[in-house]
Amino acid sequence: MKKRFWKWALGSLIAIISFSCLSLMGNQNSVKAAGEPTYQIGTDVTFPPFEFANSQNKYVGIDIDILNAIAKDQGFKVNIKPTSFNGAIQATQSGQLDGMIAGMSITPQRKATFDFSKPYFESGVVTAVKPGSDIKSLNQLRGKKVAVKTGTEGAEYADKIKNKYGFKVTTFDQSNDMYQDVMTGNSAACFDDSPVMQYGIKQGLKLKIITKPAMSGPYGFAVDKGKNKVLLTKFNNGLAHIKKTGEYQKIVDKYLNGKGGTPMGEDNSFFGLIKQNKTVLFNGLMETLWLTIVSIFFATLFGLIFGLLGVLPNKFCQGVSTTVIYIFRGLPLLVLALFIYTGIPSLTGTKVPAFVAGVITLMFNEGAYIAAFTKGGIQSVDTGQMEAARSLGLPFGKAMRKIILPQGIRLIIPSFVNQLIITLKDTSILSVIGILELTQTGKIIIARNLQGFKVWTIVAIMYLIIITVLTWISNWIKRSYKL
Amino acid sequence: MSQLIKVSHLYKNYGKHHILKDIDFHVNNNEVVVIIGPSGAGKSTLLRALNRLDAPTSGSVIINGLDIAKKDVNINKVRENVGMVFQHFNLFNNLTVAQNIMLAPVELKKQTKKEAEANAHRLLKLVGLDDKFNYKIPQLSGGQQQRIAIARALAMNPKLMLFDEPTSALDPEMVADVLDVMKKLAKEGMTMVVVTHEMGFAKEVADRIVFVDDGKILEEGTPDHMFNHPTNPRLKTFLNKVLQA
Repeated sequence: MKKRFWKWALGSLIAIISFSCLSLMGNQNSVKAAGEPTYQIGTDVTFPPFEFANSQNKYVGIDIDILNAIAKDQGFKVNIKPTSFNGAIQATQSGQLDGMIAGMSITPQRKATFDFSKPYFESGVVTAVKPGSDIKSLNQLRGKKVAVKTGTEGAEYADKIKNKYGFKVTTFDQSNDMYQDVMTGNSAACFDDSPVMQYGIKQGLKLKIITKPAMSGPYGFAVDKGKNKVLLTKFNNGLAHIKKTGEYQKIVDKYLNGKGGTPMGEDNSFFGLIKQNKTVLFNGLMETLWLTIVSIFFATLFGLIFGLLGVLPNKFCQGVSTTVIYIFRGLPLLVLALFIYTGIPSLTGTKVPAFVAGVITLMFNEGAYIAAFTKGGIQSVDTGQMEAARSLGLPFGKAMRKIILPQGIRLIIPSFVNQLIITLKDTSILSVIGILELTQTGKIIIARNLQGFKVWTIVAIMYLIIITVLTWISNWIKRSYKL
Repeated sequence: MSQLIKVSHLYKNYGKHHILKDIDFHVNNNEVVVIIGPSGAGKSTLLRALNRLDAPTSGSVIINGLDIAKKDVNINKVRENVGMVFQHFNLFNNLTVAQNIMLAPVELKKQTKKEAEANAHRLLKLVGLDDKFNYKIPQLSGGQQQRIAIARALAMNPKLMLFDEPTSALDPEMVADVLDVMKKLAKEGMTMVVVTHEMGFAKEVADRIVFVDDGKILEEGTPDHMFNHPTNPRLKTFLNKVLQA
């Protein structure tokens, strides 16, 4: 009879779902259980001098130091979550984070969805071009491209004046990519906050500022509208206090006028970069590997369950399998990751740690691929094998386990190893939800030293080494099983 | 003689296609019945209805007293007593020769592993392949594979053996070996239903021959009747074609 096989399939499904739920709940509990108030604060990682990782890969910058000073002053703890500017916005709105500090200008538009603290910094947008460029004013930008970073004041400024000055806007997620686009000549200019640009140029960024700060905007600490009032009050009180004690000025001077916290003097040669960042790069690599292993484990379970459902002689099961494969194979990984990380907390009010969200994302996406080829592999076993087994009186489940699956699994091993390699590469996409894997590590290093080309080369080589090892293993498996 | 198989008013449709139309058919204990007929006539479908590999659309198929056309019958129990040999052998490719033979008796707890092993040796001797005990399936010729498939079906000690064109996929020089094994079984008194194009075998071994065309049984009788005094014109045409070839 089919019953046993059913029980087995159903049991595994329940196990996998309950595991996911447990791991979610477990985390929530740990957050609630903490006696002292610890706030999860989101920030951008690539916005020096406001927030960036220093050469010891500690998060520093004006925002971070102010926040830490206020937290110390007011007696609460903060857990800094470096995601991206947009990621932090979404995570704060969905309740994943309690607040964010990321050089965020207070605008009427943002006030509709956020509550802001009193302004802690006054900034403005400046225009920068290549040193050799003959562009001296905004009027000369007609017909040219201007690079901006998504979600920033610079982007809004560009949007406002692009028709007046007749230029096109290209948007980037990372500051370094935006600068690079100007330095390579793809874009004629870029717009960025004046302290950011000043700091960058001080670090050796080959750009020059051609305008005075425009659209001066105050920066504020933000919480989701109507929530975390206590935190906001503490921030305002603390800010007033550290301004009074002079600590505030000390912090600002440290980053804009002094030399403190600057990565000047770093060895930016190829091997110097490796030597300097070997620990973080190694940690990033380990995170990538760990993410891959955990994800492929759950993706395999998920894929086997839904692949097997698809070969059961039951229309409903086949329908479920086809639908699940269709949905999760059809969704871009990036969309799925953002949906799970920011969408699920909005729907359920439960925080999802980035790592768990990442594993769930990969479980669905890679699992759908595994389900598809598992189904295909089993279906490609000659139907005569099943008929022969059944004709001997073996029940469906036994025939599956003893005859069909061993042959089907043999057929899918090469696809499986291939999927493992794809999963490893796909973990890089999870950098958008702030998981500190290899790609995110690369982004953070670049945000500090602006050595995009060299750092990406190092990261690429690290990926290639791991994938080469995996390919060797895969070839060895294929040889030893004569696949 | 008691009836081991009794089929009444059996219909089988595949969508709009009517493969079997109102078949009445029986097989007595220890009888060898050979089903002949042109391809596409429904011979294989009739045979596969006898162990419900093809479920009937309507009618009854009583095997050893149980109507397997009814859904509540434990078909696995019935199949334990009905061995089947396929045109394309269908040996389990992931198992060795011995494992193929021992799988069902051990899994279904009919024999201990030791008993099954002794039984496998006995059956392999019967089909003349005891030296292939530990071989893998792809190492064997088609004729060898088919003889092992017969041994596999016999391992469950069935009351009835079904053969679905067992020699059609074989090279001519392999056919005799397989037919010899089948003749041996017939002599030992095994009840057999055989779909085949081997007219020599039918003539020599069959107790009764059934001629099927267009989903119906058009004529049945002893080999002497069927080959020497056929009455149905379609049977006459069919025999003319196969015997001349």
